[in-house]
Amino acid sequence: MSRRFVPLAILLFCSALPLVAQTDPGVRGGGAAAGQALASVLANNPVTILNFFNDGKARFQEIDSVAGTVSGENGVGLGPRYNSRSCASCHAQPAVGGTSPFTNPQVGDATADGARNTVPSFITINGPVREARFPFFFNTNNPNGGVEDLYTIAGRVDAGTCTSLAQPDFNFATQTNDIIFRIPTPTFGSGLIENIDDSTLLANFTAQQNNSQGVTGTFNHNGNDGTIARFGWKAQNKSLEIFVGEAYNVEQGVTNELFPTERPLPGEDRNAGLPSSCRVNATPEDHTNFNTTSIATLSDSVQFAMFMRLLAPPTPSTTTPGGSTSINNGHNLFNAIGCNVCHTQSLTTTRSAITPSLGQATANLFSDLEIHHMGTGLTDNVSQGDAGGDQFRTAPLWGLGQRIFFMHDGRTSNLINAILAHNSSGSEANNSSFLFFNNLTSGQQQDVLNFLRSL
Amino acid sequence: MRFLLCFLVAVPLLAQDETKPPKGEPLKYPTGVILVKGAEPSASDTKTPLPEGGRMANDAYKNDYFGLAYALPRGLKQPFEGPPPSDTGGYVLAQLQPAQTTKAADATSVLVTAQDLFFSAGPAKTAAELVSYKKEVLPPYYEVERPPAEVTMAGRKFARFDYVSRAAGLHWYVLATEVRCHAVQFVFTGRDPKAMETLVDGLEAMKIGGEAPPCVRDYATGANVLNRVEPLLTERRFNRIPVRIVIDTKGRVKYIHFLSAFPQQATAITDALLQWRFKPYIVNSEPAEVETGIVFGGAAGRVAAAGD
Repeated sequence: MSRRFVPLAILLFCSALPLVAQTDPGVRGGGAAAGQALASVLANNPVTILNFFNDGKARFQEIDSVAGTVSGENGVGLGPRYNSRSCASCHAQPAVGGTSPFTNPQVGDATADGARNTVPSFITINGPVREARFPFFFNTNNPNGGVEDLYTIAGRVDAGTCTSLAQPDFNFATQTNDIIFRIPTPTFGSGLIENIDDSTLLANFTAQQNNSQGVTGTFNHNGNDGTIARFGWKAQNKSLEIFVGEAYNVEQGVTNELFPTERPLPGEDRNAGLPSSCRVNATPEDHTNFNTTSIATLSDSVQFAMFMRLLAPPTPSTTTPGGSTSINNGHNLFNAIGCNVCHTQSLTTTRSAITPSLGQATANLFSDLEIHHMGTGLTDNVSQGDAGGDQFRTAPLWGLGQRIFFMHDGRTSNLINAILAHNSSGSEANNSSFLFFNNLTSGQQQDVLNFLRSL
Repeated sequence: MRFLLCFLVAVPLLAQDETKPPKGEPLKYPTGVILVKGAEPSASDTKTPLPEGGRMANDAYKNDYFGLAYALPRGLKQPFEGPPPSDTGGYVLAQLQPAQTTKAADATSVLVTAQDLFFSAGPAKTAAELVSYKKEVLPPYYEVERPPAEVTMAGRKFARFDYVSRAAGLHWYVLATEVRCHAVQFVFTGRDPKAMETLVDGLEAMKIGGEAPPCVRDYATGANVLNRVEPLLTERRFNRIPVRIVIDTKGRVKYIHFLSAFPQQATAITDALLQWRFKPYIVNSEPAEVETGIVFGGAAGRVAAAGD
């Protein structure tokens, strides 16, 4: 470089600094900071509970086939439609029970065991695990919103008479903007979330009113008894068992005692339904095992929920990334600009009859479990319970440091873009996000990012 | 013949498979638009001004419901509109940011909100109480710079409260006044107290308040209600449904504003409210219109459902 251009280069470098000075530190390394059982479960209190955790974990990792006859795929009941073949294939990062892993298992799921599916364009080997939903029935304004499973069992070696079953028309849905995505929610610490009493949530709700960010929020409710629902991207599910039962049926096609009938696509339900040739097994495929007297008596669904319930919350790092000073500063700034109005740091659980670690414990979930309007930028136009198209549960941030994909649809792996995505017309989060981008210095922004990646 | 025509029209519609691409030009859905809404605001007519009906025009924020005309401070704009009203009566009226993305030391943002004092989830019943309560529950990572005190701006009484975050180096100046049983709040946030004070001084030039029916909390209760018909909520029952009504001089419901309700709920509640009768509100020995609030759904619905 000639000497004449050196000052210009320095000037350009310096002028670019504000744009590049703060960066997402990326997925925190150093081994998985999640996936263990709660402390009292590890201590086997009450006696035998550790067996339930371990059994649930093993079942969570089991690969399902249609009839359980494929070697290494002992689970029974896959399909006729499915998104993946095991709970743990999607709930994998950074450990069993987590969320979307680096390598997307859905690419391999498409053709596993002879299945003849086409991998949709939005499923890529390095992209997030996704389920797809069509907000509207094709060419109408009739709300749909149900899950459109990616794949079918047609052609599989164990599919029997199910030789032909079409995948949804994802190309048409994509061309007409009639498709949205959801990624798996991590399940660490979910037993603590389940054991937070409604009164605690309501007290926190009241305490956060008249904040200086313009945030309000509300709750999704269970339609039967009116209590607060709390699981799923829109807090549409009341309990872990309901959450699991629905997921087992919807994501893997396994009928169970909570969702006992084979599930056609939303459109099929309105027309011919599933062909009889593809109803391979008697239902429910997962059920109480009456011929045993041991832990094996329980259904998979019950044990999936128990595994999730007994999973410890993620352990944050006090030093990584950026060092403890930066992380502490970031924590203070996170609170100061009002992120914690929705991402409430901690809520206390009520007494537990299951195990001591679940009772009267501090859950550092960084969520109020309320649903909030997130505006035009994040709306998915799917209504679930009381939640409208742009309302989402405040995503718990514990474990965020080791997550790869962010937002409900996994649209970004960059934390800065995730914060930016909180900004759009109609969003309750605009003001805190404004303060982050406009009123914090670059160093302060970096501290916030380091804090978030320490979780 | 008419039957045949109906049949010929209906059969192709019934036969349409909504899981398969249709023949002809497909319907393409817009992106970035909230098409499927949850509980939302609505009103019984389209003429009466609404709290959420403010607008930006000619570098000013105008809101006919509050009689508010606020010239935007120089260099500020509203990049995004706020969310719809909440089921606890919270409104984001305007959220103003520096026009340029900047980290200038004097950058200040302005948030204008309103809290319907009929539906507030906290204990405050007045704008001054709301500001005092804010100070009472101020988290420990903030410091009070100016305790709540009454000030006069634009010829009105405001409650003012200032606090600061030392960690962020940011100050908050909160000024609230009461209009139609709402606390209208201006929240200034920035690093430079001098620049912020200049913006506070700018409030002197705004217009706020005007002619409106008197507002009375809990008027639609007890002996004031002569005839009450319960709405039949079928699809959803557990969300909180705050409703503002205007009662005319004969004790009938003249106007209904739903802050947050699903359409079926709004229809059912409207059908019921039009059958309610009230004792007329009396001002100077004469019947007068009155504005009040009622909450449907929510906790009441939960109790009713127990054991179902």
